[in-house]
Amino acid sequence: MTVEQNFEALDQFPVGMRVLAVDDDQTCLKILETLLRHCQYHVTTTNEAQKALELLRENKNKFDLVISDVDMPDMDGFKLLELVGLEMDLPVIMLSAHSDPKFVMKGVTHGACDYLLKPVRIEELKNIWQHVVRSRFDKNRGSNNGDKRDGSGNEGVGYSDQNNGRANRKRKDQYNEDDDEEKDDNDDSSAQKKQRVVWTVELHKKFVAAVNQLGYEKAMPKKILDLMNVEKLTRENVASHLQKFRLYLKRISGVANQQAIMANSDLHFLQMSSSLNGLDGFNHRPIPVGSGQFHGGAPAMRSFTPNEILGRLNTPSGIGVRNLSSPPAGMFLQNQTDLGKFHHVSSLPLNHSDGGNILPGLPLPLEFDQLQTNNNNNNNNIRNMNNNKSIAGTSMAFPSFSTQQNSIIGAPNNNLVVLEGHPQSSPPGFPGHQINKRLEHWSNAVSSSTLPPPAQNSNSINRQFDVSPLPQSRPDTLEWNNVSSSYSIPFCDSATTLSPPALDTTNPRAFCRNMDFDSSTNAQPGCFYDTLQTRQSGNYGPTTDAMLSSSNPKEGFVVGQQKLQSGGFMSAEAGSLDDIVNSTMKQEQSQGDLSGGDLGYGGFSSLRTCI
Amino acid sequence: MLGLGVDRLQADINRLLASLFHQGVLDEQFLQLQQLQDETSPNFVYDVINIYFDESEKLLRNLRLLLMDREFSDYKKIGLHLNQLVGSSSSIGARRVRNVCVALRSASELSNRPGCLRGLEVVEHEYHYLKNMMHELFQLEQQRLLAAGVRYPM
Repeated sequence: MTVEQNFEALDQFPVGMRVLAVDDDQTCLKILETLLRHCQYHVTTTNEAQKALELLRENKNKFDLVISDVDMPDMDGFKLLELVGLEMDLPVIMLSAHSDPKFVMKGVTHGACDYLLKPVRIEELKNIWQHVVRSRFDKNRGSNNGDKRDGSGNEGVGYSDQNNGRANRKRKDQYNEDDDEEKDDNDDSSAQKKQRVVWTVELHKKFVAAVNQLGYEKAMPKKILDLMNVEKLTRENVASHLQKFRLYLKRISGVANQQAIMANSDLHFLQMSSSLNGLDGFNHRPIPVGSGQFHGGAPAMRSFTPNEILGRLNTPSGIGVRNLSSPPAGMFLQNQTDLGKFHHVSSLPLNHSDGGNILPGLPLPLEFDQLQTNNNNNNNNIRNMNNNKSIAGTSMAFPSFSTQQNSIIGAPNNNLVVLEGHPQSSPPGFPGHQINKRLEHWSNAVSSSTLPPPAQNSNSINRQFDVSPLPQSRPDTLEWNNVSSSYSIPFCDSATTLSPPALDTTNPRAFCRNMDFDSSTNAQPGCFYDTLQTRQSGNYGPTTDAMLSSSNPKEGFVVGQQKLQSGGFMSAEAGSLDDIVNSTMKQEQSQGDLSGGDLGYGGFSSLRTCI
Repeated sequence: MLGLGVDRLQADINRLLASLFHQGVLDEQFLQLQQLQDETSPNFVYDVINIYFDESEKLLRNLRLLLMDREFSDYKKIGLHLNQLVGSSSSIGARRVRNVCVALRSASELSNRPGCLRGLEVVEHEYHYLKNMMHELFQLEQQRLLAAGVRYPM
């Protein structure tokens, strides 16, 4: 793996973490696989322990983590655990339906990193990457004790195996201009606990300004450092940051033009690097934080407090920033620093209703756009991004404020500068208006696809329903199979009519959307859903247009139109849960969400998009 | 006309689900399953539940065979089967089935054969009830899809 590839992988970690899942129970295995995919891990599954061992033995570097069930017929899960631990030195997580403490104890004594109980929840799986980080960090720490090259910036690379670490060091050598200085830095860094430098937006702005001034091609760490004129920043810090910056630019240079990159790179780059840096600072100090909330962000946040340079955050000036009318809200602020007081203050005019969890700052639109263009499965991506970006977002939120309220932000911003130095003007070409537009666009997209608060959904569960005999509607509903033969389905590319036989044959089959309605069976409803799915992207414009332009306008459309055109979730006749759910259902049609649309829970997937 | 059909079916589905939740037949884990269903895995719930049915039926058959055997003594094996049942039932959110399986597991750990037989009957009963409910749910879903998929001129 080349150095650059490694950076790519690391920048995205824990996304793409390679997990091997082993469970003889097919149900659980399938669920586990889907859960892991939703966490954006790369999943391989097998239901046999033997096969798992083979897979692991064939290539030791193929997986980052193993999750295994405990009671399996062909091999005891504990045995597998032992073997994997011994041979491959990979972190192993145990799964079991038994909550008996003695089994948990057995797991731990056999070397399991963690012991999860079935049913496994996605929140637990979202955190398992910690074990990978921890084990690698411990490995590196043990073997690199005397290695002085692992400076602050290089810590992030420590997660690769040794070879890549050395390769990175070689690359670092390119930046070495002054051997003496480097030795001093290294001595310092190895003598004391490594000071984690956090690249706040202010700092990064200076960095970028310096780079611009020197010329991107010619920028060398020493010169950048001099230009930045920031105390306690070492050439090594700058060098590693420059390295990351260069890779970052290279990566996204295909996406946007240079201007936009340079301007927005402050935010985006910091977002990317925060997740990277976050891993560095992970082990610095145990901070009692909720497990689910702090993915990449918390470690970086932790690095705030132990770092004495940042002690200023605890000063009144830090508190002073709190009084800004639009400070960042974010989960990470629940920390013992005074920044924790920021927690619930959020007054940016965004339409989404989610209060504390979303940073009302610029990073979101940037990320959101990129995600949309990448056509990811946005749901968890965005949520995770938000979680991760919360730290970087703090400092990142400031530039947004600076565009909106220059005078207010100016002074407090200076106080929040991590490292003392001369405040510089904003980087050239910082497109505040562009970012604001994106903000609006994003919040519009959000508002058009928001769902009602879960409270309503929970009401539906809590209502006391008796299982009344279902109305005899089925004969009726099935009859129109015959009646509809002369009508074509809209949005169908082929625009052929429904053929009752086709429907009838599909009836006894499972109700899966794809099985019944795929193009191979030529059943018309399939076309409907497929095209509907491709067209619907969170707003109803295209769908409505398609309806209008359909060659066979049906009055049934009118009903649908009315519902859709009501502009989102609450239909005009909203009042009963059924209507709401129907609207949800229509909204979710593109997702072919069968049981999910029932209580609006399928809507969670679009809810994820909003968040 | 069809719009109303869809509504009615949707209401039926909701009512059924609500009732199942209320009875404790299903729990939040089932909701998680629904949440996992999306474009990349559009039939996820259906697939998983079918896998569950297949596997569970095999297990239950084995259990019955084992327990009906007069010479039966391999409670450990029963324990293993039950473990798997507990795990898969809880993973799909079949709370009542899971609970009675846990009870049966306790009986088997005490090597209590009559207790196990009784427990097995309860498990089978709960399982079949769940299966019927799921079938009904799937049927309603299917009809709702069909209803939603067709448009009439009015």
